[in-house]
This record gives sequence, C-alpha cells and structure tokens, in this order.
Amino acid sequence: MSIIDPGTMIVSLLGFLISFWIVKRVAFQPLANMMEQRRKHIEDQIQSAERDRAEAERLLAEQRRLLEQTRNEVRDMLDQARARADEQARQIVEEARAEADRLIAEGRQLIERERAEALAGAMQTLSELTVELTTKLLRGHVTESAHREMVSEAEKHLEELVS
Amino acid sequence: MPKHPMLFADHWYRIDLVTVFWTLVVGALVAIVLGVVARRLDMRSPRGLQNVMEWAIEFTRSMARDTMPSEQGVNFVLPFAFVTLVYLFVANWLGLIVTIEFEPGRDIPVLHMAEHVKYSLNNSPTENMNMTLGLAILVWLVSHGYGLRHPLRWLKQYRNPMAIIDEVTNPLTHGMRLFGNILAGEVLIEAILKMPMLFGWVPTGLPLLIIWLLYSMFVSTIQAYIFALLLTLYIGHKDFSVAHH
Repeated sequence: MSIIDPGTMIVSLLGFLISFWIVKRVAFQPLANMMEQRRKHIEDQIQSAERDRAEAERLLAEQRRLLEQTRNEVRDMLDQARARADEQARQIVEEARAEADRLIAEGRQLIERERAEALAGAMQTLSELTVELTTKLLRGHVTESAHREMVSEAEKHLEELVS
Repeated sequence: MPKHPMLFADHWYRIDLVTVFWTLVVGALVAIVLGVVARRLDMRSPRGLQNVMEWAIEFTRSMARDTMPSEQGVNFVLPFAFVTLVYLFVANWLGLIVTIEFEPGRDIPVLHMAEHVKYSLNNSPTENMNMTLGLAILVWLVSHGYGLRHPLRWLKQYRNPMAIIDEVTNPLTHGMRLFGNILAGEVLIEAILKMPMLFGWVPTGLPLLIIWLLYSMFVSTIQAYIFALLLTLYIGHKDFSVAHH
C-alpha cells in the first residue's frame, strides 16, 4: 500500500474532484455570493449614511446662514426705523417751534396794529375835540385860514406828544 | 499498516477500495452539511453553522491574502483552498472517530481478501499516499495552469535552475507530509488497540489511546491547515500577474 498505485491515485483524485465540484456548486458559491452581497449592502449603507450626513450638514449650514442673514436684516430694519423715527420727531419739534414762532410774531403784529389804530382813533377824536373847543372859545375872531392853521398845528403838537 | 480490500490487485492499476470509498463519503458529507447550511443563508442575521462557514471562508481568504501577491489570485484560489481545507479537515478526522476491522471468513479473490486476515474498513482517505500525492499533483497542475496565463513570466522563473528541483520536491513533500502524519496517527491507534489486556480485561492501552487520539486530532487539524496553506503558497508562487523581483 505504500507503493504508488496509479489506479488509486486517479480514482480518488476523481472522487475529490467530483466532491470539489459539488461542494463548490452547492455550498461555496451561494455562501460567497451572499457574503459579497452583504459586503455590497454594507458598503451601500455606509455610503448612503455618509451622503445623508453630508446633506444634513449642508442643510444645517444653510439654515444657519439664513438665520444669520435674517438676524442681520432685522437689525438693519430696526436701525433704519429708529433713525427714521428720530428724524421724524426732530422734524415735528422743529415744525412746532416754527409754528409757535410764527404765531407769536403774528400776535405781536396784531397787537401793534390794534394799538396803532386805537391810538390813531383817539388822536383823531382828541384833535377834533380840541379844535371844536378852541373854535367855541374864539368864535367869531378867527378866520377860516387861521382856523385851518391852528388845527394842523394842534395835530402836530399832539403827534409830538403821543410819539 | 492497515490492510485494505483492493480491486484489480494483481495489476498496476489496482484500486484501494477503502480509500476511494471514504474519499467519496467525505465529499458527500461535506457537500450535504455545507449544502444544508447554504440552503438557509441569512444575510442579515447569520446563525449557527453559517457563522462557522463564513469564518472558515474569511480564514481561508486571509490565509490566501498572506501568501499570494495579487487579489485576483486570491479570488482564483479561494474556492479551491476553502473546499480543500474543509474536505481535509473532515477526512483527517474520519479515521480517528471509529475503527472498523473486518475478517472475511472466506477468500474473496475479487477484492484480494484472504480468509483469516483482518482488514481495516475505516481509515482516513488521506492515510493513503496515493490520494494525498494525487491532491498534491492536482495543486501542482493548477498552479502551472494558473502561471501559464503569463507564459513569458512563467518561463522566466526557470532562469534559476534550482526552480526545477522545486517543481519535483514541492508536490512530493506536499503530499507526503499529509500522508505521513495521518498514517502515523492511525497506525499507532491500531497498534495501541492491539495491546494485550491486563488479566484479560483491564484496558492498559486506554490512557495512551486517549492521549494519542487527542494528539492526532490536533495533528489532523494542523495538517489540513498546512495543506491548504501550502496550496495557496504554491499557486501564489505561480501568480505572475504582478511582476516578481
């Protein structure tokens, strides 16, 4: 038996080859395919997880950016509004002051005019009364021309008196 | 040395029936067990034997990666190495499980069996030198078939004439190593079993037998691994898809 038997060798080798072929077909191929499939599956899962993560990060960054942008816009708007409100208030105060000044000036003018008118009226009456009194005193002794001269002189004096 | 029934015992092409029979039985055993496992594959939650098989494939793959220069070669050799590893593991253990002796009681000339000779009916197929040498030659053929995919590089390896010696010694030692280890184990088991009993009933050989069985199990496992490892190594040597230095 320890001598070389080509017959045993060939037949047992054939037996092994048949066994090999069957085991490979029945067991190895399905196992290897399944493992390959699982490898691919895991690879896919990892890839998609990485992709999802990148996507999530991108979205988060975008959200952050938008939030920042919105915040800036709000701040700008508030600043503008505040500036406009200040400006408006200042303007209103200015206008009010101008209006008040105008009203005061008008009032002064009115008072001045009234006073002047009242004075003029009083003057008129006074001069007329003076002339009338003088005429009564000097009745018949004064010519028409002297009368006119006296009146004007009296007016002049009165005017000097008033002013 | 165990005696086996032979076919065509007087011719050069005689066939050792026990070896051939158990060669086929081991193949059938491996095919059935692995086939049942493969029938109930679960990609998501593997359990039981499937885990063992996947571990064996991964083990073979890492073994091939360690010894072969290219991933392409690993993929080529993986089915061969895996099936050989599992097959030899089962085959080497076979002779350790049970020993069957048979005395025909009358001459059976067709099977070359004599009347009062004890024949061993259960031995590892790898216990026969012809079987292991056949496997080694198969590995040798496959390695050269693979190497000839790059004929020029294949030819270049013989610039060193010592490579020709390797071509003879490699398959020879490859087959003889396996055969020698397994044969030694089984011959010694047989010898221990033949030890005379003390007072006719105390099995003096039992402790020795147990120790030797444990050692043989270890050797059987290691030899299956070594054979598969050398298989990847020898085919890896002929992997010329990556230029050697």
